[in-house]
Amino acid sequence: MGNQLLVRLYNVDVGDCIYVRLPNGNEDFHILIDCGSLGVKSILKSALEHLEQELPVDAATGKKRLDLLVATHIHEDHIKGFDPEYFKNIQINHIWLSAVMDPAHSQAEHTLRLHNFASQKMRELAVSGLALTPELESLMALYSITNDGALDALRVDLPQANHILPKYVHAGRSSNDPDLNLGLNNQTTIHVLAPEKDIDHFYLGQAASNLQGFTAFSNRVRAEAAPAAVSAPANISASDFRLLQTRMLSNLLAFADLDGATQNNMSVVLLIEWRKRRLLFVGDAEWDNAFKDGTRNSSWNVMWNKRQAQLNSPIDFLKIGHHGSINATPWSSANDAEFEPNKILDAILPLPQAGSKPSAKAIVSTIRKNYPTIPAANLLVEIGKRVGNTQKYKSKLEEAGKNPNVLNLFAEFEAVMLDELQPTRTDIEKILTGQDFVEVTIDPAD
Amino acid sequence: MASKDEVRRQLYAVGDMLDKEVKIELGLFLPIKTYLQDPLVAKQDPKFGFSTLNVKWEPGLRNGPTSARFAVVDYNGDTGTLVPPAKWDNAKREFIYGDTKLDENRVDEFQFHQLSVWTHLQNALLFFEEGSGMGRRIPWAFEGNRLIVVPHAGYGQNAFYDRHSKSLQFYYYEFDDKPVYTCLSTDIINHEFGHAVLDGVRPYFTETPSIETAAFHEFMGDISAILLILRNNDFRNRLAALYPGGLSDARELEFLAEEFGKTVQDMEYLRNAANDKTMEAVKDNPDPHYVSQVLTGAMYDILVKFSEHYLNVRKESPKKAFWHSVDRMQRVVVQPLDLLPPVDVTFRDYALAVLRAEELSNPTDPGGYRDLILDVFLKRGILNQQEVDSLRPRHRLYDSFHVDVFHSIEMISQSRAGAYRFLDDNRRVLFIPSNEDFVVADLYEVNKYSEVAHRLPRQYVLEYIWREDVSLEGVEFGALTGQIVTMLCGGTLVFDERGNILSQFQKPGSQLDPTQEPTDASRAAAEIGKRRLERFKANIAYNVRIGQLGINQESALGLLGTRMAPFLIRTVNGTTRFELSPHLNITENGTRGDRAWEISS
Repeated sequence: MGNQLLVRLYNVDVGDCIYVRLPNGNEDFHILIDCGSLGVKSILKSALEHLEQELPVDAATGKKRLDLLVATHIHEDHIKGFDPEYFKNIQINHIWLSAVMDPAHSQAEHTLRLHNFASQKMRELAVSGLALTPELESLMALYSITNDGALDALRVDLPQANHILPKYVHAGRSSNDPDLNLGLNNQTTIHVLAPEKDIDHFYLGQAASNLQGFTAFSNRVRAEAAPAAVSAPANISASDFRLLQTRMLSNLLAFADLDGATQNNMSVVLLIEWRKRRLLFVGDAEWDNAFKDGTRNSSWNVMWNKRQAQLNSPIDFLKIGHHGSINATPWSSANDAEFEPNKILDAILPLPQAGSKPSAKAIVSTIRKNYPTIPAANLLVEIGKRVGNTQKYKSKLEEAGKNPNVLNLFAEFEAVMLDELQPTRTDIEKILTGQDFVEVTIDPAD
Repeated sequence: MASKDEVRRQLYAVGDMLDKEVKIELGLFLPIKTYLQDPLVAKQDPKFGFSTLNVKWEPGLRNGPTSARFAVVDYNGDTGTLVPPAKWDNAKREFIYGDTKLDENRVDEFQFHQLSVWTHLQNALLFFEEGSGMGRRIPWAFEGNRLIVVPHAGYGQNAFYDRHSKSLQFYYYEFDDKPVYTCLSTDIINHEFGHAVLDGVRPYFTETPSIETAAFHEFMGDISAILLILRNNDFRNRLAALYPGGLSDARELEFLAEEFGKTVQDMEYLRNAANDKTMEAVKDNPDPHYVSQVLTGAMYDILVKFSEHYLNVRKESPKKAFWHSVDRMQRVVVQPLDLLPPVDVTFRDYALAVLRAEELSNPTDPGGYRDLILDVFLKRGILNQQEVDSLRPRHRLYDSFHVDVFHSIEMISQSRAGAYRFLDDNRRVLFIPSNEDFVVADLYEVNKYSEVAHRLPRQYVLEYIWREDVSLEGVEFGALTGQIVTMLCGGTLVFDERGNILSQFQKPGSQLDPTQEPTDASRAAAEIGKRRLERFKANIAYNVRIGQLGINQESALGLLGTRMAPFLIRTVNGTTRFELSPHLNITENGTRGDRAWEISS
């Protein structure tokens, strides 16, 4: 217990497992945001065991007490660790889930249908063991069967074990709402900035018709098709036909990609306001060129247009989205300051005036796999200009006697910008300190 | 006595000697009625609805349709199913399905779609191959001679040419609860076919990081669509009735892909050829489709000016004037393609080739077309004032080729090996570095026409290329920093039957040959090469900066089209090569930087 707010990101491979400790009168308030990884599950178990030791004892149950559990969205790298077994010694007082995780949510009908379709098809394809690029393998991994258990745990098992109901939250809600009351004192408010309640309208838009059209026309094509026995055309060779099949547009992959983006955009985005400090936890919310009503939008653009009053001012902490991917922090070096994504970044993390140092902080939970844009080095360097907790990691590694080459694909994606200031990274800090988490503290500003 | 089939085959064999009208009379063409533009236009204005195209008969026609150069394969990637093909009935000499002819009363049947797209492609191929076009058979850029045509490839707002799978793929989508089939849009078919033709005649144009070279591909697609529709008698005569004063307001012609534009972008067209865009206005735009409009607009201006010339100066009727306009434009647009350099084409290169081809086919120029064309290129900023001033005077039709070692045209044109020996013996004057193992990229003979049936002297075209290694150093190259890329260099020489040089384009390397004593000419060539290298690097850095480079997202499942960058990178023999992506993102505006090609895992 103290006067500082603590944010800790566990080093969980490609994934998020975030602990926030808020001073709240005589007692601290303990939040866990996400617990997932694309790596092995045991890494999450270890993180939770570490966290469990630090949580206070709940007087009523004798278990450790977690005041709020938040699952931002349903991807494996955010929820794989929600195994009831891992939480058996923890009393959870509140669970907030994204509105889209409510199977009965009436304004997510098309989004849910898209997800179910993509899940079914990608799982069918996964068993065929096809060779895919690393990017496509990551896409397919989103539909892992292991996610089903985590989702059930969040919706049913954990609420039942803790005698609570999960709250499916959407933009506009906050801890000030009576039904979301968390027992926080008046120094803290937790706002939900995303997703909007009308999910189909804002995040799918016209794209909803694609699946309908695809299904309807696939049926039409099947009706026109030759008998199943005719499996190859008579007027080209078998090898040309095989080649053709690999070079046609795959709607299954496209729908999975659309669903992947949509689910990222369903991320619960939390703005924690505490003693005149603003902390932003964005899940994997994505950005696009600009908001357009009636079309498929990305979360950052929707927030900018619908929740600007809360978003349009500097923040003190950013949980960098999507493990440092280029698609989850609104910024494009190719465009000017009037480009909507750049306006958003300038609003929340403005570049410091000449001669002054930025005071905001940011952390990215990441590790380089085979994917060039996770993390995106140029993005991290850009954020590094706007926050204070930065390192020149190449020099730091060398000073510590570590060879930067230990980073996967160092020459390809890291070398070019590793000696520029970057915000705190879980992967490199692990190499430097051996510690399984990184954390920052925030002082009050009132 | 020979059977009808045998007679027809014999006539087919000598078909080049016969006039088209005679060939139609003799049954060497098949009349096939199909959509003139697309179903939307047909619905809005039935007079632009259907047209009978005369498709050249071939002895080897088969089900599919399948012909010498096209094989229609109605495979659907979404369902993994094949639709049965339209059938060739040799006795009736028509394509049927069931037992009856496929015609305009069966437009909803997939077999009609198969026949329709094949019909337009056969027609388009003839347009490019005939004497007013390139005067030679068009090769494809891939290993093979049949372009696979997939009319119902799957669901999506898309259509594209793909060299790797030897295919043209047409997708379909839903609008207002009704299907929109891109395979029924004449503009889309001809645009995509324009890519296939250009790739066939200049296959190295796709190996580039240059937006302008990519834009040239898009220009070819759009100008092909415009000229092919204007070649249609029904369409042209209808325009003549609607626009007796000239083509300057002919919306039906200048609007491209109306149905696609209306249903996807809620506009009257996908692109408009009548525009005022200049090189200056598009210089910072990263979208090749957008940049291409400068050249499409320029050539469209020339077409309109021709129509006004024939109407106002020659006092021809609108019908006649429009026919003469498109006949001339076919030569003006298509014939210069053979003159172009083998690599790294720019709009300026094409403008110079247009002017040179015009000079070769119309040396006396009584109509003053050369000045007309120069004025358009100047206005668009494709050529500058100094260039235009130097190009305005007439030039010699041919020149002796001053080489170190003479080879007769018979020896040069006999084989690629023969052409190589000629080039190798003359590396010094052609600025080919002594250490570069260059290759003969192509060697062919062309028989072009000037006016209808007025044959030009035979021409021999020789293309050669080599690769200059370039090491990329600097943060501006992002993930490519430290890699070796190759800048393509080379040239195109066009000779007449006596070995005189008619046209010469060179794309020199950036280095002086250390084994040769420098001359003013070699220094000048190296200077041009250095400027090319600077542009080459700047193009790479620009594409890195705005995130237009990506890797191929190909898999056994097919392509993830939404995540394929416009420029792809491939590693070949330890060096990085660039490749234009099939343009899969018709409505993508490309301003999202790297974010556009990131998969949302």
